[in-house]
Order: sequence, then structure tokens, then C-alpha cells
Amino acid sequence: MAVLARCPDSQFPLLEAPPIPKPLIPPRVVESGQCEALRNLRASLEASIATKLTSGSELVRAVARQRREEILPTTIAPLDALLGGGLARGKMTEIAGRGTRFSIVIATLAASTSIGEAAALIDAGDSFDPQLAESAGVELQRLLWVRPRTMKETVTAAEMIGATGFQLVIIDMGSRRPPGRRVPDATWVRLARVAESHGATILVSAPYALTGTTSEAMILAHAPRPRWLGRGNAPRVLAGIETRLKLEKHRRLRPGQSTTVFFQCEEAVGCQLSAVGSMVIPRADTRQPRATAKAS
Amino acid sequence: MTRLACFYVPMFVLAARLRSEPDLLNEAVGIVEGSGNNAHIVAATRRARKKGIQPGLSLSQARALLPKLIARGRDSECERTAQEALLEVAETFSPRVEDSGEGLVFLDVTGMERHFADDELTTDPDSRQPTADSPNPELRLARAAIRACDVISLPARVGIAGSKLAARVAAELPKSPTVVAPGEEATFLAPLPLTRLSPELEAAAMLQRFGLSSIGDLARLPESEIASRLGEVGRELHWAARGIDPRPLMPRPLPPEFREGMELEWPLVALEPFLFIANAALDRLSKRMEIQGFACKRLEFTLTLDPDGYDARGIDLPAPTRDVKTMLTLMRLDLEKTPPGAPVVGFSFVAHPDRPRRAQLSLFGPSAVSPEKLATTIAKLISILGDGRVGMPMTVDGHLPERYAINVFSPPSPPDIRRTPARARGLLAVRTFRPPIPIEVTTREAEGDDVQIASIRSLAEAVSDSRPPTPNSRNRIEVGTKIDIAGTVRICSGPWRIEEGWWADRPDIREYWDVELERGGVYRVFRGGATEWFVDARYEM
Repeated sequence: MAVLARCPDSQFPLLEAPPIPKPLIPPRVVESGQCEALRNLRASLEASIATKLTSGSELVRAVARQRREEILPTTIAPLDALLGGGLARGKMTEIAGRGTRFSIVIATLAASTSIGEAAALIDAGDSFDPQLAESAGVELQRLLWVRPRTMKETVTAAEMIGATGFQLVIIDMGSRRPPGRRVPDATWVRLARVAESHGATILVSAPYALTGTTSEAMILAHAPRPRWLGRGNAPRVLAGIETRLKLEKHRRLRPGQSTTVFFQCEEAVGCQLSAVGSMVIPRADTRQPRATAKAS
Repeated sequence: MTRLACFYVPMFVLAARLRSEPDLLNEAVGIVEGSGNNAHIVAATRRARKKGIQPGLSLSQARALLPKLIARGRDSECERTAQEALLEVAETFSPRVEDSGEGLVFLDVTGMERHFADDELTTDPDSRQPTADSPNPELRLARAAIRACDVISLPARVGIAGSKLAARVAAELPKSPTVVAPGEEATFLAPLPLTRLSPELEAAAMLQRFGLSSIGDLARLPESEIASRLGEVGRELHWAARGIDPRPLMPRPLPPEFREGMELEWPLVALEPFLFIANAALDRLSKRMEIQGFACKRLEFTLTLDPDGYDARGIDLPAPTRDVKTMLTLMRLDLEKTPPGAPVVGFSFVAHPDRPRRAQLSLFGPSAVSPEKLATTIAKLISILGDGRVGMPMTVDGHLPERYAINVFSPPSPPDIRRTPARARGLLAVRTFRPPIPIEVTTREAEGDDVQIASIRSLAEAVSDSRPPTPNSRNRIEVGTKIDIAGTVRICSGPWRIEEGWWADRPDIREYWDVELERGGVYRVFRGGATEWFVDARYEM
């Protein structure tokens, strides 16, 4: 038995042209937020003067926008060149690998605290040396040192500190991969949101990639090579360690570029570096980035 | 001319109880004093009074009139804290405050009315309406006082006059606030009934039997005649009737701490109900400290246990804070860690005040961290991680590289204008092992007396976490465990000698080497004694 039913109007006929959809009601015009008095004042002034007129709320918004858009330089020139000037504020950046990650962490702390910002180091490996950090230029008075024991404590502390208003939060996972479970990926999403909403710069330093797609940029530090002063039977002195940094991922820059940085031992700072056989001078990679697929 | 204000809380016993239990505000509540057959009503809410519940009724009589009457015993702790709160509100209006007990406070407001001369200072939009009495600054002061008392949930009445007696009588009038003009005390008192003078004195009732109904009638009589009939009491009453009060204001010293507490109706055996009540008490404590411009530096709490005994504890806050959530979290953690072991029938909180941290924000320099938020965050972090795990790192004088100290984090204010970051020195960082890892070393002879290291091997898997295990430790992922160091040495550099404490019997003498292993990794190795070898750091690789 067949049951009769009306053909629903939502089905598109195959042989006829589809009906032209009715235009929706246009959205309401969003006001710019300017008050009437300011608009009248601007209208009454000459154009050259009116363009220079700024209200208090506009000034505050501009300062906040400028702070979010600016970057925090690590003051390591090759690394800053790789990252397009430094670490992006309000974003999460990751450094992974077996290279000199901790030296980059210390240099970033020195850069942030030297401009008067409050910084926090979440030292999961409990390997921070305050004496060395002070020698490297870190203002210890502006540094909050947190020593968690577990991965869960580490990410919890990072979220809390990021939401407090610290301009720089560094998570250092130590030199070994933490045994046991990895933290859920949602943790890094939350952390990235904390950075974005509070304008904090979050730097994650781990022996392996942790943050996945949530970070703004990912640097791979690899191929560390110790350099020694002295040859043959002469007494040796550790001059430093050079390492290779590769931009694995960046949301605004083309990845794949690499560079070499050299960190010097404090004892060897006064030594003649030319005595070292193949000392590498910090420089950017000479390879040109590949042309992008599109015309731009 | 001295001007005194009086804060008076009618039915103070009931008001103090309702302040601690605001849910009962619209219920028929009676405050009971005594126990057993002696239990009688001392105060009742308006809803109960409408049903005929009056002070003096026994509890059984009151129950007969109103079976659903909520009876609460007198709580000395509630009354004491309510009185302290009232005094603290008074201290926001004047530094000279006298505590007269039981919801009665006098304060010297001479000259204070100048702070209330402008309508803009008042926050109540109703008081900005042009009325007949709006030009009077003292009236505005009194209204502001009533609003301040409302904030701490005490329905106070306020009277202002030239003497304590006139101010008290003015405050007791139902239409509040009442301001008696300077020199008009006698005129103000004259039409009032004699019982307003001193209701507790029998002399007033006797004078009424003499045919004197108002205070003015008494004031018109000769003082000597009254004194000859009623004695010294009569003389004082006559002075009072003429508006003369020789008693000076006796200001109280500022209290060094803030207290809140409560006696519970029944013993609490679970944590959550206790924290629910504690939250309200801490909220009151926080508001009181806010009125005075203080924050809590140390919180002490005493639990009264059933059937007897006390449990006293203290929490040191890392920075002064008024955040109730933080204090409650710390209290919860402390109680979870070591439960009191018996039901709780009462509690008392004592907050030691300190000035909260202040920071001036800058438009052009780096933004400063809010001191209030910072204090809360640090307190929470310490509660999670433990003492000595959060703070500002500090260097310590000495030659041993593993030395460090950790202090309270209190960052200086950021500069007004953003500075250019200092150029990095590019120093190689080392990862310090705490504690140093004991190793086994194979050495080879070198030129002279020096020793060169041929190979190293860690004796045991080092565990950086020295915290004792807890019930939740099975859920933790330990960080930095299983440090296994072993291998043949490719390059060895050293030794460098360090000596510390040469004046002691056993000076700390160490010899340091930097070694690079064939398999990779550069370590800092030291020999502490004749045969004890350790690795205390790894050059970052």
C-alpha cells in the first residue's frame, strides 16, 4: 500500500534552476565606539589636526594592541632572526631537542628582566643555578622560580602564573623525558589561550615536542658540539658548546631555516677564541628560503 | 565644642546572630538565654514579635504561641565579633572611639562633618536629592555611618549631640539618624519620657510616680531638692535631664588583630559543612579588614572540639591578602592534611593584619603584576608544591656551586618607560643535579700528580624528588628521574680545586673536572674525599 505525501519544498528539482535565495536582512552597522562629542569635535577640526586627535579609550586600546603585537627579543641574534625578531607576545613558543635549550632560556630571562618585566621560570628539572643566571644578566628580583615535581604540577603552575599577569613564563622540562603518561593535548590548548588572553609570552623548553599545533613557533635545537681550548697533550679548557637551531614550524614565517649558535663557558670568556680550531661564529644560515608556492 | 556620635544597634543579641546567619533574616527567630526550664527569650525578629513572641517569655511559652519558632542560643563569639565590626566601622569615621559594649559605640566627630560638606562625597543617590535637611553635614555623616553599618550587616541607629547621654538618647530614637544642634541638648531632651534617660534605673520609675512624666519636668525642679530625696543618683539624673554629661570619651587602643568566630548548634563531622560556614566568617573578616585598609598576613584558627578540647592552627600567607578563596583553600589543605580528629562545635579565626602591597601602574612601561593577584597565586602555588618550592632565587656567598637560597617573591616596580633589553652575554648554562649523583670513576695517571678520568658510571639511578610518598603519589609523573650516566671519557679537563671552610675541622675540599663522554654529553665531576666521586652538573646538551 502506498501512502500519499506532499513533496517537501526543501528538495531541489534536478531539471529546473534552483530558486534564487532571498537576501537576508543586512546586519546592523556596528558603532565605532566614538562618543558623539568626539565625533563633533573631529568634524569641526581640520583634517590634519583631526587625524592626530586621540581619545583616552583609543589610546588605551592602542597601547594594549601594540603590546600584544610586539615581540620579546631573546637577544641571541641568530635565534631572533629565525623567529622574525623574537618571541611573540601573547603566544606560546617551543624549543625542543638536545641542544643548548637551557642557555636560550637563561638568555631570554635576562632579556625580559632587564627591561623591567616580571618573569617566571617553572623549573621541572630543578636544574636552575641562580649564581650562573645572575652572571648571565638575569635580575633575580624580578624572577619567580617555581620547582614542581610532576608534569601535572608543572602545567598547573604555568596556567596560574600566566593568568596572574607575568609577561614571560618559561616552562623547562629538564633534560630527560618524564616517564609515564603525557599530559593531554587540551592542556596545551588551555595554556595557549591563557597566553593569548593575558598577553603573556610562554616559552616551553622540552627534550621532545610537546605542544603540537598549539604553539606559534617550534625551534628544534640539535647537533650540540662541545668546543675545547687546547690541543694534543696541552691542558684542555671547555670553551663552550655550539648547537644548531632549526625552525620547524612558524605560523607567519616559512619553516625550514636553520642557524648555528655558540654559547661560551664563563671561564673561557676571556680566552682567545682563535685558539680553537674550528670555532663557529654565530651567524644566520646562508641558505635562502625557498620561494613560496604562490606569487607572494 | 565637642561633638559626639553614638552608634546603637537595637536588639544587639539578635542582630549579631543574624549577621552570622543571614539566612534567618526573614524567619521567625528567637534568641534564647539559659537552659532547660530557665530558657527564656531575650530577643525576637519582627516576624516572631508579630506572633506575640516577646522578651521574657519562656521557651515553652514561645513554642506554644509559635510552634515553628527557630530558637537560637546566645552566642558570645558572634556578639563579640559583631561588636568589633561595629567598632571598626566607627574607626573609619574617627580615630577616637569608645567601646561601651553590647552594640553601643561612641565616637568623637568634632570637625569630621567637614568631610561630608559636599554632596558629591555621598554615594547614596537618595541623599543627593534636595531636601530640607540636606545642607546639614552632620546629617550626611550620620547617614554615611548607617550605610557603613549596613555593609557589615548591622542595622545601626546613629545620633549626634554634644554629650554622650544626648547622643545615646538621640540614637535610641526610632527615626534615625538624629542630630541635636550644639547647645540644644536640654531642649531636645525635655519632651522625651523619663525612661529614655536611664531605663535601667528604678529612680526613673519613682519620679514617674511623683507625677513627673517628661525629662523637662525633672529639669525644671531644683537640683538640691532632688538630691535630698534621691541622693547621688537623683543628682546625676537631674544633670542628665539638663543635658549635662560630665563623662569624658574614653578612646580604646587599636586592636592588633581581627577576630571572627561562631559556636555551632550541632557538632560538625565533615569538612564541607565546616568550610561552608568558615567561608561566610572569612568573608566577614575580609570585609572588616578592607574597611581598615588592611590585609591578612597570618591566619590563626582555633577549633572547639566535642566533647572538650581545642585544635589551634596557623597559616602564614606569603603576602598580605584579603582573598577569601585563597584563605579558604589554604584552610582546606591544612585540615585535609591533618584532620582535627573530633567533631567541631565552634571556631574562632584570628587575622593578623598588615598593609597590602600597592603598585602604581604605568601606561608606557611594562605592566606590573597586580600585588593582590600575585599574593593569591603564590599562596596557591605554595599550597600545591610545598614550602621552599616557590619564590625568588637568591645567590649565597661561598665557593660551592650548588648553593642557593629562595626568598619571598616581591618584585620591584617596573620602570616608567620601557628599557631596551640588555645584550645577551651568551653564557653556556649548566643543569645542576640536586643532590649530586654518586659515580664510580676509572682514572689514569697524567703528567705530574694530576689525575685524569678515563670512564665514569653512576652508582644508582638518581631520583630528584626527595618528597615522601603521599596517597596521591601514584598519579604523579615524576620529572627528572632515572638519571643514568655512564661511558668512556673522550676529553677530560681539570682539576680545579675549591676549598671552603678552611677554618673548620673538616673543610670542604673538592677537585672538579669537566669531562666529555664518547657517547655524548659534557658533565662536571668532582671528588669530595679520597674515593667519593659525584656528578653535580651537566653542560647543556
